[in-house]
Amino acid sequence: MPRSSFILRRLGRSVFTIWFAVTVTFLLLRLLPGDPALAVASPNMTDEARAALLTQYGLDKPLIVQYGLYLAQLIQGNFGVSFTQSVPVMDVLLQRLPWTLLLTVTALVLTTAIGIPLGVLAASKKGRFLDKIVQVIGVTGQSIFVPSIGVLLLFVFGLTLRWLPIGGAYDTDAYGLDWYGSVASHLVLPAVSLMLIQLGSYVLTMRSTLIEALGEDYVTLAKANGLPYRRILWKHALRNALLPTTTLIGLQLGFLVGGAVLTETVFAYPGIGRGIYEAVTQLDFPVLQGAFLLLAITVVVANMLTDIVYGFLDPRVKTS
Amino acid sequence: MTSLEFDPAATVGMTTPAEPVATENERAGLATWRAFRTEPLGLISLGILALLVVVAIAAPLLAPYPASYGTDVLKPPSLDYLFGTDSLGRDVLGEVIWGTQQSLLVAVSASVIAIAFGTLVAVLGAYFRKLDGFISVIVDLTLSLPVLPLMILIAALIGPSTGTIIGVVAAFSWPEVTRLVRSQALTVVNLPYVDAARLMTTSPLWIISKHIVPAVTPVIVVSVVVTASRAVLSAAGLAFLGLGDPTTWSWGRILYEAQQSGAMSSAWWLTLFPSIAILLLVLSATLLSIAYNDARNPRNRAR
Repeated sequence: MPRSSFILRRLGRSVFTIWFAVTVTFLLLRLLPGDPALAVASPNMTDEARAALLTQYGLDKPLIVQYGLYLAQLIQGNFGVSFTQSVPVMDVLLQRLPWTLLLTVTALVLTTAIGIPLGVLAASKKGRFLDKIVQVIGVTGQSIFVPSIGVLLLFVFGLTLRWLPIGGAYDTDAYGLDWYGSVASHLVLPAVSLMLIQLGSYVLTMRSTLIEALGEDYVTLAKANGLPYRRILWKHALRNALLPTTTLIGLQLGFLVGGAVLTETVFAYPGIGRGIYEAVTQLDFPVLQGAFLLLAITVVVANMLTDIVYGFLDPRVKTS
Repeated sequence: MTSLEFDPAATVGMTTPAEPVATENERAGLATWRAFRTEPLGLISLGILALLVVVAIAAPLLAPYPASYGTDVLKPPSLDYLFGTDSLGRDVLGEVIWGTQQSLLVAVSASVIAIAFGTLVAVLGAYFRKLDGFISVIVDLTLSLPVLPLMILIAALIGPSTGTIIGVVAAFSWPEVTRLVRSQALTVVNLPYVDAARLMTTSPLWIISKHIVPAVTPVIVVSVVVTASRAVLSAAGLAFLGLGDPTTWSWGRILYEAQQSGAMSSAWWLTLFPSIAILLLVLSATLLSIAYNDARNPRNRAR
C-alpha cells in the first residue's frame, strides 16, 4: 500500500473518532437526567430565558434535528458561550491550550528520555538487584495518585527548599529572556509530577519487549559472530524493541491528558485542566463540554501523528 | 521469584487456553494457592487489602464520623490527633477511616458493574462474530479518548453523589475489561471442544455460560483487580476536582478540602495520610494480581 493512501486512511479514522466523541457527548447531554439548557447557559437563568434558549438552540425540536444543528455548530467552531466570562468557550480554551500542550509534551519527552534507557538498563541486568529496583519503581509509579506526587514535590522543592516556584506558569513581572526563564522554572514541578506517574508503564514495556527481542535468533547470530554485547543491545535489539514502545505513546495519551488535568489543578497551571477545575466549581457546563471535545481532538490528532511516524519507522505497516 | 511485568493479557495468553473446567478447577485452584502461599509480596498485599476491608467495615467502631467542627484547627499529628486536624478542626484519622469505607464501596461497586457488563459484551462478541466488529470499534474508540474530562462533564451534569461516581466510573471502565477478556475469549471460541459443544446443544446461552465463561475466568479475576484499582484512582480524581459526594468522606474529598482551604501544601498531614491510603490500596491490588498471575502459571510453578 502506498504511503499516501496509508496516511489518508489514518486521517479518515481520526475524523471518525472525533465524530464518535461528538456524538457520545451529544447523546449524554440529551439523554441523561439534567437540563439540556444547562449545556449552553447558566443554571441561574429565569424561566423565560430558558424557554428562549431552548428555542434558539432548537432544543424543542426532535432529537435528530437537534443533532444536525449540534454538528453544524461544532463544525463552525461554535462551542457555546461561557456564562461566567461571557465570551465564546472556544476563545477561553484556545488561550489555555498552549499551556496544556507545553506541559504534556515536556512530560512526554522527559518520560521517554528517562523511561527508555531505564528499561534498557533493567532488561540488560535481568533478574539482578538493579532490575528488581527498576521494576518496583515502575509498579509503584503506576499506583500513585497524581495530586499526591504533585503536592509532595511542591512541599519539598517549592515550600521547604524554595528552589522552584509553587504555582502558575510564569512571573508577571518578567520580560524578554527572563520571561522564558520563568516559564521554564514554573514548568519543572508539574512536568516532573506528570512524568513520574507515566514512567512506570514505559519502563516496564521497554523492559519486557527488549527481553523478548534479546531472545530472538538474530541476537544469537550476532553473538555467534562475536559482536560486543553493548553493540547488540543498543544497535540490534533496541531498534526492534522500540516499536511497541512507540505505540504505547498513542495508547497512553488519554491517560496523560487526564493526569494533566489533575496536575494543573495542584499547581494552578493556567492550562485547560485548571480551566476544567474552575468550571466545575462554577458549574460552567459549556466550558466543560468544550474542554472535553478540544482535548479529545488534540489526543486524536496526536495519536494520528504517532501512527504516521510509526508507519515511517516500521516498513511492515505500509505493506500490510 | 516474582516477576513484576504487568501485562495480564500476555501472561494469560501464555498458558494453554483450554482451562480445565468443573472438578479439575478445584485441583488447579489448590495448586495456585500452594504456589501463591510462597510469595511474600502477594501475601503482604493480601494482608493489606484484608486490613483495609476490616477498617472499612469497622469504621463506626474505630472513629466517630468527623462532622462537628473543633477548636483545634490545623494541628499537626500528635498523641491526641494521630493524623492531625484539618482547617475546620476535624480529626483527619477519622476522615481517612471513613474515607476507606467510601473508597472501597465505590471501587467494588464500579468494578463489579464494569466487569459484568464488559465480560458479557466480550463473550457475546467472541461468540457471535457479526457483533464483534461493532463491539471492537466501540471499545477502540472509547479507549482512545481522554475519559477523565468526559467523566467530569457527566458527573457535573448529573450532580455529585455516590451513585453518580459509581455509574460514571463503571461506564468508562468496561471497555478495558472487554479488551482483556475478548482477546482470551476469541482463542477459546475456536477450540475444538467448543465445536463439540455446538454439536451437543443448539443453545448459545449454554455454551457461553458453561464453556466460554469458565475458560476466561482467570482473565476476569485479574481484571477485577486492575479495574478496581483504576476505579479508586478515577473516583479520587473526580472527588479531588470537587465532584465527590459532599455528604460522605472519601480520600479524594480530604485532598479537595485541603486544596480549597489553601492549606494543602503547608499542612502536609492533610495530603500525606489520604495519599498513603490510596497508594497502599492501589499498589497492593496491583501486586496481588501479579502474584496471582505468577502462581497460576504452571511454567513458574514447575521450577
